[in-house]
Amino acid sequence: MRIEEHPILTFKRGREVEFTFNGKKMKGFEGEPIAAALHANGVRVLSYSKKLKRPRGFYCAIGNCSSCLMTVNGEPNVRVCTEKLREGMVIETQEGRGELN
Amino acid sequence: MKKTAEIVIIGGGISGLATAYNLAAMGMKDVVVLEKDYLMSGSTGRCGAGVRQQWGTEMNCRLAKASCEIFENLNEILDYEGDIEFKQGGYLLMAVTEKEVEQFKKNVALQNSLGINSVLLAPEEAREIVPDLNIEGILACAFHQKDGHANPFHTMIAYAQAAKRLGVEIYTYTEATGIIVENGRIKGVNTNKGDIYTDKVLIAAGAWSKEVGLMAGVDIPVRPERHQILVTEPVNHRLGPMIMSFAGNIYCQQEPGGEFIMGHGPAEHETYSVTSSWDFVEEMCRKAVRFLPYLKNVRIVRQWSGLYEISPDAQPILGRVEQVEGLYVATGFSGHGFMFGPITGVLMAECILGLPTSIPIDKLDLGRFERGELIFEPSVV
Repeated sequence: MRIEEHPILTFKRGREVEFTFNGKKMKGFEGEPIAAALHANGVRVLSYSKKLKRPRGFYCAIGNCSSCLMTVNGEPNVRVCTEKLREGMVIETQEGRGELN
Repeated sequence: MKKTAEIVIIGGGISGLATAYNLAAMGMKDVVVLEKDYLMSGSTGRCGAGVRQQWGTEMNCRLAKASCEIFENLNEILDYEGDIEFKQGGYLLMAVTEKEVEQFKKNVALQNSLGINSVLLAPEEAREIVPDLNIEGILACAFHQKDGHANPFHTMIAYAQAAKRLGVEIYTYTEATGIIVENGRIKGVNTNKGDIYTDKVLIAAGAWSKEVGLMAGVDIPVRPERHQILVTEPVNHRLGPMIMSFAGNIYCQQEPGGEFIMGHGPAEHETYSVTSSWDFVEEMCRKAVRFLPYLKNVRIVRQWSGLYEISPDAQPILGRVEQVEGLYVATGFSGHGFMFGPITGVLMAECILGLPTSIPIDKLDLGRFERGELIFEPSVV
């Protein structure tokens, strides 16, 4: 399933682009939220809770809840529900609270 | 609310609560603490949470060492079910001027003579402790592993709970509006909720101590100074010690939860305002990134500010007040009330009970300003 409309965020769906998720090549549309592209590719677990390491999925989808913090192009704690997808992005599940580069 | 008390402590911060706990633990009954707002609403709950022993005067070194040793055992002493999160990652002090290097040499020699095992390091050696430190412009560093930081909220809750278990009454949202003095003796305290009769009052009101002192006709020469601070999002651990530069006027540490807390302290106008400014964020980022370049990639979550109560010599004012019998002060910490809190509590309790104090504090009395016997502390941010 692909998220095409969002109750709050507006985004333009651009051309099809490639990105990687944990080293795996995936396709999405430029300009859509990264989380939307991941969701369309069947990725349901975006992060793990800090203490009990329980899986966390797509939750608030508007940049508030920190359930979707991931490392994007080496930058930790990116809210992928609001960050737009770009060609060649390197998206990774985060270890713990994320490593600063 | 009680109508009488053996002592009324004005101020529900670390100094007041630690003293209340120690008084009760030493057997005093009817200890009352007044807090005009909520506990920790003043400076304790807003502080940078650092605990260091690397000081430049013998007095501060002795106080800080003893305080730190209490922090090390505070969970057990106060039988706290939580954790005050005392982490001894050390303090790395960075000298950026020749004058500072000379001061550090003196400080380290003094500290070593008092049993504080600080060391002077070359900048390259400092990188072994903080590998990411940008040492450009740093001439030397001083390091002491046993310095660190604690969680002010847990520390305060631990003291408040332990004090309550021993029968201390803590009245929040209860403001002292007057101190009743008759014939040079304390008789009681007026509050917005009624009067409490007592023959002992401790002023532990931080930045508000001057106003409270005037209620008893005593001039306590402290002034409020706003200092700002910010906290970032949490990230994995990267920074062991608190880093600090006196000349650069900055400190930065990483909390056990992974957040960086940092502040810098330009001399600000005297004010009771605890607002925040945009200028601070810009300057803080510049300063922090200079020493730790990786911080440019971390997001700021929020900023706030709190008040230092600055004394004329940046040293605490502790002890009896000569002019008024039954009046005591514990203030003037000049930005270091939290780290001195545990020892302040012990010393003030001993002083109030008329016992010999574990560390002599007679030189820290209020009278030193009239006598002109100031003790200047060279190492403050």
